[in-house]
Amino acid sequence: MRIFLEQFLNGLTIGSFYALVALGYSMVYGVMKLINFAHGDLFALGSYLGYTVLVIGAGWITQVLGVWGGVAVALTAAMLGIGIAGLVVERIAYRPVYKAGRLPLVVSALGMSIFISNGIMAIWGPRFQAYPPDAIPSAILSFGDIKITVIKLVTLIVSLGLMALIYWMVEKTLFGAAVRATALDRDTATLMGIDFRKIILFVFFVGPALGAMAGVFAGLNYGRIIFNLGWTYGLKAFTATILGGIGNIPGAMIGGLLLGVMESLFEGFVSGAWKSVFVFLVLIAILIVRPTGLIGEKVAEKV
Amino acid sequence: MGTLLSVENLVVNYGAVEALKGISLEMQEGDIVAVLGANGAGKTTLLKAISRLVHIRSGTIKLRGEDLSKFPAHQLASIGVAHVPEGRKVFATLTVEENLNLGTWGVRNQINAQEIQKTKEWIFRLFPVLRERRRQLAGTLSGGEQQMLAIGRGLISKPKILLLDEPSLGLAPILVQEIFRVIRQIHDEEGVSILLVEQNARKALGVARYGYILETGKIAIHGPAAQLKEDERVKAAYLGGTRVQPAK
Amino acid sequence: MADVTRKVTQRILNSQKSRKMPVKIAPVQLVLLAAVIVLLIAFPFFPFVNNYWIDVGFFVGIYVLLGLSLNIVLGEVGLFDLGHAAFYAIGAYTTGILYVKLHVPILALLPISAIVAGGFAYLVTSPIIHLRGDYLCIVTIGIGEIVRITALNNPFGLTNGPNGVTGIGNPDLGLFAIRTPTHFYYYIWVIIALVIIGLLNLQKSRVGRAWNFIREDEIAAEANGIDVRSYKLLAFVLGAALAGIAGNIYASKMMVISPDNFTFMESCLLFCIVLLGGLGSIPGNMLGAAAIVIFPEIFRQFASYKLLFFGAALVVMMIFRPGGIWPRRREGVGFRGLGISGLPKDENEFLLKIPKEAVLVPHGADPAQSTTVKAEVAQEKTINNIVLETQNVTMQFGGLVAVNHFDLKIREGKITSLIGPNGAGKTTLFNVITGIYRPTTGKVIFMGKDITGLKPHTIIAKGIARTFQNIRLFPSLTCIENVMSGPHCHAHSGTWSSILRLPVQKKEERKILEIASYRLNQVGLWEYRNELAKNLPYGKQRLLEIARALATSPKLLVLDEPSSGLNDKETEELMEFLKSLITEGFTLLLIEHDMNVVMGISDWVTVMDMGSKIAEGPPSEIYNNPRVIEAYLGKEE
Repeated sequence: MRIFLEQFLNGLTIGSFYALVALGYSMVYGVMKLINFAHGDLFALGSYLGYTVLVIGAGWITQVLGVWGGVAVALTAAMLGIGIAGLVVERIAYRPVYKAGRLPLVVSALGMSIFISNGIMAIWGPRFQAYPPDAIPSAILSFGDIKITVIKLVTLIVSLGLMALIYWMVEKTLFGAAVRATALDRDTATLMGIDFRKIILFVFFVGPALGAMAGVFAGLNYGRIIFNLGWTYGLKAFTATILGGIGNIPGAMIGGLLLGVMESLFEGFVSGAWKSVFVFLVLIAILIVRPTGLIGEKVAEKV
Repeated sequence: MGTLLSVENLVVNYGAVEALKGISLEMQEGDIVAVLGANGAGKTTLLKAISRLVHIRSGTIKLRGEDLSKFPAHQLASIGVAHVPEGRKVFATLTVEENLNLGTWGVRNQINAQEIQKTKEWIFRLFPVLRERRRQLAGTLSGGEQQMLAIGRGLISKPKILLLDEPSLGLAPILVQEIFRVIRQIHDEEGVSILLVEQNARKALGVARYGYILETGKIAIHGPAAQLKEDERVKAAYLGGTRVQPAK
Repeated sequence: MADVTRKVTQRILNSQKSRKMPVKIAPVQLVLLAAVIVLLIAFPFFPFVNNYWIDVGFFVGIYVLLGLSLNIVLGEVGLFDLGHAAFYAIGAYTTGILYVKLHVPILALLPISAIVAGGFAYLVTSPIIHLRGDYLCIVTIGIGEIVRITALNNPFGLTNGPNGVTGIGNPDLGLFAIRTPTHFYYYIWVIIALVIIGLLNLQKSRVGRAWNFIREDEIAAEANGIDVRSYKLLAFVLGAALAGIAGNIYASKMMVISPDNFTFMESCLLFCIVLLGGLGSIPGNMLGAAAIVIFPEIFRQFASYKLLFFGAALVVMMIFRPGGIWPRRREGVGFRGLGISGLPKDENEFLLKIPKEAVLVPHGADPAQSTTVKAEVAQEKTINNIVLETQNVTMQFGGLVAVNHFDLKIREGKITSLIGPNGAGKTTLFNVITGIYRPTTGKVIFMGKDITGLKPHTIIAKGIARTFQNIRLFPSLTCIENVMSGPHCHAHSGTWSSILRLPVQKKEERKILEIASYRLNQVGLWEYRNELAKNLPYGKQRLLEIARALATSPKLLVLDEPSSGLNDKETEELMEFLKSLITEGFTLLLIEHDMNVVMGISDWVTVMDMGSKIAEGPPSEIYNNPRVIEAYLGKEE
């Protein structure tokens, strides 16, 4: 039981990273019908930005503002920075290629992904970088014989809270309705007076910013980061997106959390080495039964 | 009452196809004008050109004397053009209420919440079924209900002109009746100006004051509705009377 | 045949005299080809070329092979495969494991690796082949990861985990073993040469065209008699087999393989090769592979920046040349681009020489082997002259009844029109007849046989051809290639006879071209034969679609709003043309909105409203039928 609960919590934590990154994939896909392969690398870049904030001047920010203050600054800086990076990526790598069709867009996205991950390597080096231990809140809470680090608890609360906020924003506000309407039918949305260019800016800012948050939290939880972090997380998050049904906001969250928990439980009770195989097999099985994911809409092509 | 809408020499191409070949029409404030014609005559294209969803090759469109071409498409809603597109195009996975609220998007900085609420109440009076189903997803409504929603979504912004594209399309006769009753009611109660594109010529001429008949991108006949109703040429334009052969 | 057709033909032939015909193979291209071959042969002997650079040449070869293999799946069929390294890995591991454990000779493992990789592809892709675009993409990524992780986890001690399989031998030809870099260099390029010859033959055959049809428009391909599922699977199997061969060669050269060689990044690189080169372009592929291998070599001194530049280069490339370095050119190359041997130099001469009986085969018969000349299209028995009958057909979508207990009868040699207001359910009924939908209840009887629920490509082979309301051509293929999809469903030559260009295949290809040319000329588009379909004006695209349908030699031709988007003159010509088809022995079913057309040419009109039949009869009766007038004009107030 203890193992189950611990693995479940671990799964929720990593699942919340997947979910945050998956949200970015899904938002961009929903509006643009584009798989932003560079998204995973923006996540990694976010992690490095947070790292940089925490190591500047030998941890100056942490010294001045305290551990939690440092964490807050790192999160904010990474989210803002990566949000802007998302807009830049859209502007230089996607907007000029939209007209050329889907396949060139995929290659452009892959190119951007390679560019960013190798850019990280060029700047911060090919080896693992460690988040400074002084900057990571180190308290541990115990509930009976279950131990949980405070940072993990905060990660969960903040991630789930932010997801709830995004959910509320997209599903419950007029602005969110405008985003969903644009994703469904751009022409009719225009008739309502919605400027789809603004919606594009929104998804390319908010999606990467959420990813950056996950990136910083991943660094804080696991301590070390590496330049190609984006590939592994990005791939899992993309899987989660498809699992939930791409273009669907609640789908991405559920897909991400589900994937994380499944993976962790499988790791805890069956085998760590085979967990990814298990995840992909589940994905394939689900797609065979439900070709558009768990919550995906039915798409029928009109003939 | 002055001129509300004037279209002059409008030409629209789809690739190599000339969809509109120089159309001119005019509409007064508070009027209902019907644009009729067989499928493919260019009726929908005309409305899309007014809303700037299609590229205009040449010609002008003016609303109260203001040239619409200087506005990007997404600003038209805010200057008073509401377009209820063909096939209803409600946002299927949004609720009825969200659909209605999106209708206010273009004017959300011009009209206050109370006024919107008042208009919404009026729409719910026009279509009580929308009030009942306000939390339901729009895609689960029947065709007729979706049409009502689409019209409501257009009305909620209190537009200067309502462009209605084939509101009776694919509806059962009893619903067609209902829709046209409401169109008349909208006009009578709030004086909304309506440019109505229809396949159902008799119904449309029943509510309109003036009518234009399009044939392959040109205006073939126009005149007061009462007069067009009696015109044999209208039937011919629809049923291809010119080419009927004797039975073999 | 009607006067018009002859006039049109005459007009076309006249207009052609002024057009230049590209008939000879451009000598520039031959010279270029020869230069490339000489360069490749002489490369190891160039003074600056040491063993290092010979190895680079070898790796270019590996990536050419891999690029070609993915090109079949991604380039020819347009399937989103981002896990192709899996098949490469299967080939390499098959070779490694069987050599190390069972000492099977490397050369014998070459075909075995191909078969295992192909078989693996068949097994894993057949349950998921129906997935669309992005969903297929993630599944292929998943397959790639599953294979890599499996190799990493050393199941049954076979793969030796992260260290990989070591001690793999070199290929041994008996007389001498392939050992040195130079040996390997020639070894792989000879194999590439053979593969390219085979692929070129395949590309320019019924199989290659079918793949392209699917890439261009899957629904139109299925509706024109292409068995979409089988051809997609075939592409995966062939692509995987080629990747398996590459895996074998790679393993025997490196003598060690590990999971690191088969990462997602590797699959992405292959994807980029195909798109950098140009979809479906074999020379483009070679350039793409060369770019991918040589680019990082050139930037070797900037070691850690080389991939940075590479990523940026991909983006820049896609911005400025989204079609690739060397896209496959189809337009303007003339019929020789089709790869059919023995054609006269003058394409007009070919057209004039087509024996009429070649075209007028009874439908369902094999045009290649049919020797009996039939002037009439109709051969099967018709019961009371009824060609097609829908019996009590109902089609429901959820709660919506689109077609309601509908009976439709189509008589032989007549033009029947199905009319009704928008949204009446006409197109739905149409899709039931042509097999896109399976009716909720009721039957469709064609020539006395029940065809309910058959797949569209089977129905077309039985003799029902269709056109689409919104025109669904194969936009980036030439007009003649578009029409060549018609005879596809009656032809038989498969992969091997196409690769080997067997005489029976050559004969069949010629026959297909004859039928296509005849039909293209019949609709008056002969002069556009080598233009891309998407470049035709709208009205001509309609005619092209009709030609494509006619080329299936149907018994019944079903046209969905053929006159929409046509101007008055074009409509007039279309009507004349449709009438002429009746004299040729076809039966027509029309869905039409333009009442002038309906009233002008129909023998029989069936009126549909709200999914039900409300009237039927000859046009003059329908014109005055009060219910019809009501359905169209609305009720009298």
